[in-house]
Amino acid sequence: MTTPRRSSTPPLRSPLEQRRGDPGVRLRIVLIACGVLAAAYGAWSLLGEDPRDLLDAALWLAGGVVLHDFVLAPLVLVLALAVRRWLPEAWRTPVVVATIVLGSTTLVAIPVLGRFGARPDNPSLLDRPYVAGWLALLALGLLAVAGHALAQRRRATRTSRRSDGADPGR
Amino acid sequence: MRPPAPEHFTSRLRSPAVAARVGTWLGIAFGLCFLTGVYSHVAQLPDPWIALPTRPSWFYRVTQGLHVTAGVASVPLLLVKLWSVYPHLFTRPPRARRDLLLHGLERASIGVLVAAAVFQLVTGIANSAQWYPWAFSFRATHYAIGWVAIGALVIHIAVKLPTIQQALTSDIDDAALDRPAMSASGGLSRRGLVRTTWVAAGLAVLATAGSTVPALRRVSVLGVRSGDGPQGVPVNKSARAAGVLESAVSPDFRLVVAHGDLSVSLTSADLAEMPQTTADLPIACVEGWSASATWTGVRVRALLDLVGAPVGVPVTVTSLQEHGPYRATILPGNFAADDLTLLALRLDGEPLDIDHGFPCRLIAPNRPGVLQTKWVTRLEVSA
Repeated sequence: MTTPRRSSTPPLRSPLEQRRGDPGVRLRIVLIACGVLAAAYGAWSLLGEDPRDLLDAALWLAGGVVLHDFVLAPLVLVLALAVRRWLPEAWRTPVVVATIVLGSTTLVAIPVLGRFGARPDNPSLLDRPYVAGWLALLALGLLAVAGHALAQRRRATRTSRRSDGADPGR
Repeated sequence: MRPPAPEHFTSRLRSPAVAARVGTWLGIAFGLCFLTGVYSHVAQLPDPWIALPTRPSWFYRVTQGLHVTAGVASVPLLLVKLWSVYPHLFTRPPRARRDLLLHGLERASIGVLVAAAVFQLVTGIANSAQWYPWAFSFRATHYAIGWVAIGALVIHIAVKLPTIQQALTSDIDDAALDRPAMSASGGLSRRGLVRTTWVAAGLAVLATAGSTVPALRRVSVLGVRSGDGPQGVPVNKSARAAGVLESAVSPDFRLVVAHGDLSVSLTSADLAEMPQTTADLPIACVEGWSASATWTGVRVRALLDLVGAPVGVPVTVTSLQEHGPYRATILPGNFAADDLTLLALRLDGEPLDIDHGFPCRLIAPNRPGVLQTKWVTRLEVSA
């Protein structure tokens, strides 16, 4: 980029208006047109489906956004506040890292943890001890967090002791 | 209570520098899902508008494995991406009418993108575990919303292109693109958050991909299948579910091969007396699991020769199963002509287990598993 700018995301309007002949702007307009066509094809290909099924699909589409934006994201906000408020500093980063890693893996694992698709006539499907596997992952994560936090604390006490000796005036 | 505003979010991690980096990989993963998904869709069409190749025989196994794996990896990528841009959800609409229109259009395109992206990951991952808590047709809807998702993604990339370019060409800690409210520091760094996201995506993949990558079987504690099953091969639809427990083992079983007015009727013993071919071919399911096995049986081509069917014509393959969309499938001409396309009688040297399609099943190279019809009772070429 040759134009460093301190402002946040530049609005689409100004560059489009100022530099209509710019190849970058032309590329963006072509991309937008392609995107609109692809999305329209997708919507059009659903038209033959039963209206009741379409309503169900629409509910699932909207439900995903609502669940993320107004349930999961606020929950993460509350979690972050709790971490900042109650966790000692050395524990914060490892706990946040473990929560991102294990939390997202847990979401992926919901269908197998619940074994919702299991069928008595097909023992080759969902044939692992999922809760045990998930608990093992959780335990590994907790061990890593504890190990990291303890190592950090030991390092911190060592450096503070050393600096105490070097700079008695502090 | 007043709604939150973007300036209430002060973390330096919620930055375009993070969003662009995670978003790049999310875009690549969605692109992979889209391409492999369209390929799988075409491969499942009864009458595909292009002839798909029969080789390499493992190709569908790889594309469909990639499809599900890229989808799983997308979960942490999407969550972190959405987290990094969450404050923008509370941006107040501009006053001027012209700005309002563009603002509204952009917000709408992002709403469609988020809805479609979450929908694809949720329905895809539930489907891979054969969980269908909805009424709509998974295949038709997942395909259609796939186009909506990729379209909305392309629009989003086009709108944000200058920001993406600037974010990716400057240092991750560069504050040039930050919102003024972003002041909170300490704790996890941006680099740390991005690396954590890669680790999360990697773990989600390792924990599930054993269903299709044999080397990961022991590690994938959350894989939908361990890879075990009757004769060491997993099953998607059992004989009981297909309602063929009696008809498949009946002494009255016959395989009818028909071409126009001409037809022959073969017993299991007749089939076993014909020249046998053995081939290592994968079963690769649309749900993403796959397993390789050694199959022995009669070439479909040899059966078609019995009724003088021309080489390269499509064949309708009908199962004993009484219901279901895949009771009768069409084997395209190039697959019917292939030397590796078998009506298999044996798996690893043993007669087929009833759940694997006893007395005979179709097995062809580079085909989606749902089209590898089991309990075959009729092969028909239209004259």
